[in-house]
Amino acid sequence: MKKFFINYKYLVILGLFVGITSCENEAIPNPNGPTLESLVDGATQADLLLLATGVESVMRNDLGFYYNTTSIVGREYYDLNGTDPRYTGELLGAGAGEGFLDNNGFLTTRTFAAGYRAIRNAYVLEEAVSNTVASLTAEETNGYNGFTKLVRAYELLKLANKQFNNGIRIDTRDPDNPGGFVDYNDALGQISSLLDDAIGDFNSGGATLAFDLSSGFDGFSTPAGLAQFAQALKARVEMYRGNTGACLTALGNSFFDLNGDLDMGVYHAFGTGGNDTRNPVFFVPSQDLYMAHPSFVTDAEAGDMRLNKVDELASPVSIDDLTGTHQVQIYSSDVDGIAMVRNEELILLYAEANIGTNNAEAVAALNVIRNAAGLGDYAGATDDASLVDEMLHQRRYSLFGEGHRWVDMRRYGRLGELPLDRAGDQVFDQFPTPVSEGN
Amino acid sequence: MKKLLYTCAMLLAFATGSTLYGQYTVSGTVTDSEGTPLIGVSILVKGSAMGASSDLDGTFSLDLTDAATLEFSYVGFATQDVQVSSDNSSIQVVMLEDVNKLDEVVITGLASSIKRSNLANSVASIGSQELAGITTQSTMDGALYGKLKGAEIRSNSGAPGGGMSVKLRGVTSIFGDQQPLYIVDGIFVDNSTISLGTNIVSAAAGGGNTSTNQDDASNRISDLVTEDIENIEVLKGASAAAIYGSRAAGGVVIITTKRGKSGEPRVQFNQTIGTTSAIKLLGQRVSTVDEVRTIFGEDAAATAATNGVNDYEAELYDNTGFLTTSQLSYSGGNDQTTFYVSGLYKDEEGIVENTGYKKASVRANIDHKFNDWFDISFSSNYITSTADRGFFNNGNTNTTVGYALAFTLPWENLYADANGNFPAGGAGSNVLETVNKITNRENVNRFLNSVRANIRLFSNDNNNLRLALTAGRDEYTLQTVGLFPQELSFYRDPSSLGGVSINGNTINEVYNLNAFLIHSFYTENDLTFRTQLGVTTESFDQNTVITTATDLNGAQTNIDQAANVGVFQNRREQRDKGFFVQEEVNYQDKIIGTIGLRGDKSSNNGDADKLYYYPKASVAINLHNFMAFNGLLNTTKLRVAYGESGRFANFNDRFNALNGTLIGNSAGLVTSTIRGNSEVGPERQKELELGFDITFLDNRAILEFTHYRKSVTDVLLRAQVPTSTGFTTQVVNGAELANRGFEISLGLSPVQGKVQWDTQLNWWKNTSEVTRLDVPAFNLGGFAASLGQYRIEEGKSATQIVGTVKADDAAELDPDGDGFAVYGNAEADFNLGWVNSIKFGDFDLGFVVHWKKGGDGVNLSTLLWDLAGMTWDYDDTTLDPSGTLGNGDFRTSEWFAGNAGPWIEDASYIRLREVGLYYTIKREKLSNACDLRVGVSGRNLINIFDYNSYDPEVSNFGGNVLANSIEVTPFPSSKRLNFHLTATF
Repeated sequence: MKKFFINYKYLVILGLFVGITSCENEAIPNPNGPTLESLVDGATQADLLLLATGVESVMRNDLGFYYNTTSIVGREYYDLNGTDPRYTGELLGAGAGEGFLDNNGFLTTRTFAAGYRAIRNAYVLEEAVSNTVASLTAEETNGYNGFTKLVRAYELLKLANKQFNNGIRIDTRDPDNPGGFVDYNDALGQISSLLDDAIGDFNSGGATLAFDLSSGFDGFSTPAGLAQFAQALKARVEMYRGNTGACLTALGNSFFDLNGDLDMGVYHAFGTGGNDTRNPVFFVPSQDLYMAHPSFVTDAEAGDMRLNKVDELASPVSIDDLTGTHQVQIYSSDVDGIAMVRNEELILLYAEANIGTNNAEAVAALNVIRNAAGLGDYAGATDDASLVDEMLHQRRYSLFGEGHRWVDMRRYGRLGELPLDRAGDQVFDQFPTPVSEGN
Repeated sequence: MKKLLYTCAMLLAFATGSTLYGQYTVSGTVTDSEGTPLIGVSILVKGSAMGASSDLDGTFSLDLTDAATLEFSYVGFATQDVQVSSDNSSIQVVMLEDVNKLDEVVITGLASSIKRSNLANSVASIGSQELAGITTQSTMDGALYGKLKGAEIRSNSGAPGGGMSVKLRGVTSIFGDQQPLYIVDGIFVDNSTISLGTNIVSAAAGGGNTSTNQDDASNRISDLVTEDIENIEVLKGASAAAIYGSRAAGGVVIITTKRGKSGEPRVQFNQTIGTTSAIKLLGQRVSTVDEVRTIFGEDAAATAATNGVNDYEAELYDNTGFLTTSQLSYSGGNDQTTFYVSGLYKDEEGIVENTGYKKASVRANIDHKFNDWFDISFSSNYITSTADRGFFNNGNTNTTVGYALAFTLPWENLYADANGNFPAGGAGSNVLETVNKITNRENVNRFLNSVRANIRLFSNDNNNLRLALTAGRDEYTLQTVGLFPQELSFYRDPSSLGGVSINGNTINEVYNLNAFLIHSFYTENDLTFRTQLGVTTESFDQNTVITTATDLNGAQTNIDQAANVGVFQNRREQRDKGFFVQEEVNYQDKIIGTIGLRGDKSSNNGDADKLYYYPKASVAINLHNFMAFNGLLNTTKLRVAYGESGRFANFNDRFNALNGTLIGNSAGLVTSTIRGNSEVGPERQKELELGFDITFLDNRAILEFTHYRKSVTDVLLRAQVPTSTGFTTQVVNGAELANRGFEISLGLSPVQGKVQWDTQLNWWKNTSEVTRLDVPAFNLGGFAASLGQYRIEEGKSATQIVGTVKADDAAELDPDGDGFAVYGNAEADFNLGWVNSIKFGDFDLGFVVHWKKGGDGVNLSTLLWDLAGMTWDYDDTTLDPSGTLGNGDFRTSEWFAGNAGPWIEDASYIRLREVGLYYTIKREKLSNACDLRVGVSGRNLINIFDYNSYDPEVSNFGGNVLANSIEVTPFPSSKRLNFHLTATF
């Protein structure tokens, strides 16, 4: 008989095997480029600069969709290029559309995703700053944090304006557990608090920022300057909320200047370099057929210089029973900046906030706008209702194509006054929640 | 009593032991049927670990105590059992050729093999004779056509130097690489397809990209030298390949190269010369001035009268290339050391001017037995190759040759003047000038090395324990050179790129280390247990740098001299670790059961340190060993096998990448819209295989029947995520695929005697389905829905080809209203391969016929010819049901109306893949100088297909399985005719 033999070699080899199998397999970092993980955990000074520039840059992403969709729903202009039937159908509520906005179509999803992508980048910068290996002073840290909050607030405001009472998520810091949806009023309140936080950070942010901003922030690229920008946004938000006092206070702390340049403000900057972005709402003359709503021309007072924002084409353009004679020409080149907020709006907010309490001051502010547009002083009735009409008229022309008309008419309950050009057309009051939010 | 007896197959017998009670010595001789002694026949005492092997004279001896059964086995011969006892101790054994290959040893594990008759899987095995014995092959994968059931092998184009995809048993992934794992002598061999960087010229993938999968690069398995290969085993699915774990989802191809045998040294010289030419030319729409006048009008006719109506297609493709392959091998050895060394040089011209393939290879395989318990095998191979691939496939600049040819008017003059200056002519580029002036080259230098050691740790009568160690290394550099000089007519304009010089460098380093313990235990009643325990580690590094220079300084091609230089780099790194255990139980060759488990870690997974487990189990039952079947059936085996394997996540899936951006003059970083998934795991394949093998008609016929069902779960997808996260998609494990198929083969030896005819029919069919999809259906592969694309849709075939549909036909063709009609399916209805070998006297005839029935292709070449108005059948009226429109007008008018179908065509074919006739002159007739073998052979000599282009089997998108039925003006396929001379000294 031969017995089964246990040799010491077995044990040696077995030990060897156990040793090898239990040995760790280490993760490999991405050799082809930086990753989120590598930067949020121990970012250097240079990394922070890159991320901050990235935040400003990514805010421009898909901006064209924001301005075009809000301007078209607000009947400021039409897209008569005919490249996509949804601009003349779905977006106007009828025509070739089916009477509702597609919750998975690009008209809804692109700006929604773009806004939150900018917010994601702001969160990334915030996290990178909190874990940085660079030796930032408390003031420099405050400058970064104020900036990221400011960017988040600005993006949330755009999102809220588009989504309205379908709501937006305010806190998306943790992508695995984003906060719930809140309605428009709630959102505006939270945006206002976020701006307060940003202003607080800037107020203890010292004299200079630790990062660079583009030429779009010229005159505002200090903690104090950004605080003024935040105050201007807060003035807008408070006006939306009906808090005229808070609006006036914020205006006082902002760069609002009744006698100042109407175009003074903070802009998205554009360029033509390799990875840079061009102004998406610059329309090549006679070629990109974004046509002003006919009423923009017919409703204008004689001599209103703001009609220079549109150019009459040689012949009218017609598609889908919609006709335009004037092409939108707000920007003169593909590197013109797009205003995030500028003095002209602040003057109009000042007028609006004074209506009902100091109508004479409101008229004075409106006259600043009128005179700048080549019009004489306001001569109409000065009761509250008349001044609201006049204020909305001036906003329509001063802020044409800048994403305001639709929001203004909605907050005054006047969407029903917007013109409908075809049987069955309708004016949507909000965009649907993208279907992917349910994933 | 303690008796140590080490066995060693293939080597000289020896036996030690003290003489004890009842002992006797068995001795004898082993020969083949012609009386030639066989060296190295393995002789095993059944039910024990004792054994011996025959020596140089074919003799052996063994000391035994009791009556026993000896099992004689030898590669290529049928295993024989012989009873011996002290009364019958001197025996003569005549081994008979193994017609059915049932005794063939099949390598299935990393360190183990099994007799085919005991195998529970259908493992395809291709020997050197079948692989390269009929005709010479350009590349190894090209030699497998029609011989491998269950495989879809597809050539991407006719460009010299290879470029193939091999798909085993259907679609096993959506975004993952579906190519099988190749293992050569224990080396995990890289099979990357690396972009040539020509996109800057072709803009095939749009401007701005350096890298594209549309530039017809070759895949690196084509470097292997077919002539050195002894045997190829193909493990087609998880049930057979589970032991390879996460690497095996596409199957495993195990390649064994030739090794020396002890005995007289053997020198063999092989010379092949041949020619290659296009298998088909399309012809053109007009060939006379009158035709030009009728169709294109007077102006065109006037030009044609001056320039003639030229056939530029023939000018480009109707050429004959010269082929030569020389190989010298030297093998032999003694009891301790055997060697096989070979050198090969191949020089093959392509059918297009300035294209061709050159390869030189040196191999040395050395086996050395230090002592009773330690032996070692070295395999080393150096390969250098140069492939001039021409400039074909899709483009958006009208510069790729096929594309520009479609738009070239035959009455234009493109010929060079007396000084060699080409006119600008043509559509965007002058095709004659392009083939004359450009260089598009791949240059490979590759080392493949492995060391394998066997250490017999322990052995006694019924136990032995072996440690097998393998280290393999695959290292290569690939240099690509793309030269598009400034003198090209399309680069003369100052606003053009002004000449392009592309330098690509890839360094690839792969190594694998494996260690296995194999324990065998034999019981008294013929029960054998074999236990394996192994660990493996693999490392993969690849670094590609492509430098692209434009605005060249005159005739200078040095990138220093260029005004603009861009650099692209891509690196991939991967480390895998794994282990496996396996237990195999063999009860008297009646029931053979195996269970095993593999565990794998990979740095490609979200959690690099997490082990993923892949189990397997199989049973084979040899019914004939239980009972005798009266005459009709000789052997009957039932088999069932189940196994799981995986596919690692893609390299980038786990990262949240940051992308560069610019605002003003400041650079910044922004998050990608693709969210990394730190939890991403491997795809998992589960395969159940059932089958039976029967031999009948006195072992002259063998029928193998296999049915498999495999599902792939956790298929990696790009899923939409809530965009409020700041991301739009994320790679998730979110789909399931299923493949079902049948593989039937019938091997027959219908004629035996003076004429020996062996024939094998292989029939196979696979059906794939997307069984679960967590995201909405989506299109992929191809260019756009209007040009035919694949569509991944739950409940549908993974290879369906869809496209846009005419409004009039929508109700009929697009009942589900998703906007796409199904126009075809890339998957074949079935494949049939017919492999034949006929010997009569000193003549050998072999041929392989391959019939692929069904399977559609998207023929965008004809689309381009149609858009140009130059298709050869433009004016035929075979398509329009009303018979009014010519074919070209009909196809384009349908397309303009929204029908994507006109160019989605049946890609069935029947080919005479290989045919070869040889005559052997024995050395006796040549004063014993050498054996001579001369022959003539051909490849793809007969091709029958309806598909309206050069070849139904091409791919614009390389080996990407869910895109590779789409062609855009490829390098035309060719056929070959070869003459052979082999001298064996």
